[in-house]
Amino acid sequence: MLTYVIKRVLQSALVLLIVGLVAFSMFRFVGDPIDNLLGQERTDADIARLRVELGLDQPFPVQYYKFLEGAVQGDFGVSYRQGRPVGEILLERAPATLELAAVSGFLAISIGIGLGVFTAIRKDGFLANAIMSISLIGVSLPTFLIGILLIYVFAVELGWLPSFGRGDVVQFGWWSTGLLTASGLKAIVLPAITLGLYQMTLIMRLVRSEMLEVLRQDYVRFARARGLKARTVNFRHALKNTLVPVITVTGLQLGSIIAFAIITETVFQWPGVGLLFINAIQFVDIPVMAAYLMLISVMFVAINLIVDLLYFAIDPRLRTDGKGAH
Amino acid sequence: MKRALSAALAAAICAAPVAAEDFKWAGTTDPQTMDPHAVNSAPVLGFLNNVYEGLVRRGKDMSIEPALATSWEPIGAGEGWRFYLRDGVTFHDGSTFDAEDVLFSYQRASSEVSDTRSWFAPVSEVKMVDAQTIEIYTTAPNPIFPDSIANWMIMDKGWAETNSAARPDKENGNYATLNTNGTGAFMVTAREPGLRTELAPHDGWWDEATHNITKAEFTPIQNAATAVAALLSGEVDMINPVPIQDAARLQGQDGVQIIQGIEARVIMLGFAQDAETLKYGADAGKPNPFQDARVRKAVAKAVNVDAILKTIMRGNAEPASQLVSPAMRGYSEAHSTRPAFDVDGAKALLAEAGYADGFAFGLKCPNNRYLNDEAVCQAVTSMLAKVGITAQLDAMPVQNYWPELRADNFDMYLLGWSPGTFDAEHPIRFLAATPNAEKKLGSWNFGGYSNARIDALLPMIQSEIDDGKRQAMLDESAQILQEETAYVPMYVQPLVWGTRDNISLTQRPDNFFILRWVNVQ
Repeated sequence: MLTYVIKRVLQSALVLLIVGLVAFSMFRFVGDPIDNLLGQERTDADIARLRVELGLDQPFPVQYYKFLEGAVQGDFGVSYRQGRPVGEILLERAPATLELAAVSGFLAISIGIGLGVFTAIRKDGFLANAIMSISLIGVSLPTFLIGILLIYVFAVELGWLPSFGRGDVVQFGWWSTGLLTASGLKAIVLPAITLGLYQMTLIMRLVRSEMLEVLRQDYVRFARARGLKARTVNFRHALKNTLVPVITVTGLQLGSIIAFAIITETVFQWPGVGLLFINAIQFVDIPVMAAYLMLISVMFVAINLIVDLLYFAIDPRLRTDGKGAH
Repeated sequence: MKRALSAALAAAICAAPVAAEDFKWAGTTDPQTMDPHAVNSAPVLGFLNNVYEGLVRRGKDMSIEPALATSWEPIGAGEGWRFYLRDGVTFHDGSTFDAEDVLFSYQRASSEVSDTRSWFAPVSEVKMVDAQTIEIYTTAPNPIFPDSIANWMIMDKGWAETNSAARPDKENGNYATLNTNGTGAFMVTAREPGLRTELAPHDGWWDEATHNITKAEFTPIQNAATAVAALLSGEVDMINPVPIQDAARLQGQDGVQIIQGIEARVIMLGFAQDAETLKYGADAGKPNPFQDARVRKAVAKAVNVDAILKTIMRGNAEPASQLVSPAMRGYSEAHSTRPAFDVDGAKALLAEAGYADGFAFGLKCPNNRYLNDEAVCQAVTSMLAKVGITAQLDAMPVQNYWPELRADNFDMYLLGWSPGTFDAEHPIRFLAATPNAEKKLGSWNFGGYSNARIDALLPMIQSEIDDGKRQAMLDESAQILQEETAYVPMYVQPLVWGTRDNISLTQRPDNFFILRWVNVQ
């Protein structure tokens, strides 16, 4: 057991190191930060001086090593653009992204499961078919377009919801929340729908097909034959058995909700880490890009590691440490 | 029931009406620092012009007017300038403004760690005569010195020293990166970098306030479509810029208005003139045709600027004849016509130069630096094809573009230039003078254009006190640059802002948004 865990952790660490190396080798293709840092009246001497100062004259493996050296001590460097420690900026921006991810995840799961069950039970109903058709929009339209569409309908035409920003926030220590103010709640609606729509559609279609499968099983028929109420059969017996794959998929999607928040955050000017990253690319803010990419890969690697360890806990065949395996 | 419910919901959701004097605006870029001496970039200086002030300032027509100095005069025969400071000016924190703050701000803004130090390259010494008088000596007579320091902002010495911000720190930031203490009409009351910046009027401001704002808030909105939506929904009162393709549509909408003007930026084509051979396209390695002035002139004739303005700029820009726009000081009226669009003339010139069969070359272009830059380059490419020369277009983000230009990786390129001093001398110094790192000349002259007469005229223009003689030399420079087609100036970039229709404001050609000229009706 311990060997397996250690092996997996070491593998994960290696993956992280490689991701970082690839990221650092890509940064010079993103562009040169120098011109954004110096004004119109810069001279060649200024450019050379700043390049040395920022360590950009070094080959990328050296830059990467220096970044790692700082990162293991919790120091992600200073943002070129803002002149503040990257760690501080990330902490400031993280609550916005996490709240958005949590709310859209919640919407995706609750609405997705509800609609999935409905469309499975009323398999041939008009409404169910309509929902299934409309849900295609969720998977086929790009997030960007959905966001703009929602803004034009609900912010510009109806004027119900704000088109950008996070509204007023309440501060708890380093955590800021927009979920406790009226303007914050209004502000999160459109971005959360935009971000969660794809996942919602996915969950809905998954639940529907699993439900259809389960509803054909003998025990459901027996339950019906016993005269149990339809509600009990559908939700207590059938739905419960569809949830295992749904939970797996949802867990894996959590990472991508946070990672893909970039586009939603840009459309709604949502002040999270995704927007920060887009900004960092624009201004070639290497310390911010590096820290963000490392954090996102840590998150993905951690989720995968946890999933692997859970499989290990569930599947006894993995537990034999190689002895007696055939 | 359902309708009543949704109506109630709508009423509950709709924001409470805000006081009319609340003003919110959005722009694409957040000023990266609140330190007026740390970086020399338009978003920062434009924003801080509302908070800090210089000895002089620019009026609605860009003319220089007194600010913290009430008057100024040359010292002797051009040894420098003497400024008489305004009495009774206080900083936002209540401390008094005097010559010590000016001296301190000079030392701060000209220090090695400041990006604004190039403004003070001509300065040899700054002397404090008394609390209300300051003398700035220059190494050579400098007629436009007062014009060149309109963005040099004065910071309180005591405040900066108390908060250990006596020097700017761009790399790591310091107190002045996030906090301000100026003398300007507005003070920063809240600052969240990248999210929002809140301002309130400075009650102790020395000048009479003509605005009626009680609170102002700036939010950066990167996505143009979101910004337009925010303006349409009334969540912001003003956005800058409005995407050109949206301008006409917004114009017709109720509740919003479009404010158009001409920016100081001239968009032009540049050539690799010091390269012996072409670097890109089918003729790479062959002798460089752009060394021949006739070929460059043929390019100028082949580009149909009016068509570009009509289709790509939607009629919002104006053609350019020289490196500066007519709004700049020292613009040459005598040379205000650009070569006419003339395909046959261009072909004849090419034939004369020995390129009757045309040639192929590489055109480099940014795709996110200037308005519709890539589309303009595509249009230029197809226009050049009509006279037989084939451009291989390579468009890229600006972050990659400047390194390419610096590495001389182009045969022809697109460049926009906005003179920091609003004077015709500026582009001559940066774009036309023979590159010379030691003398800090020609630092943006990527193509290596070189003309001995221009190099000789430049120092004379810089030190000529007499306006008439100076203009004659600027005219001569403009003429030389036109005759040799050093660059092909195409158009002056438009400035398109959008506001709610209850807002009146003034748009200045430097694209600085000045809050004290805003009125909310």
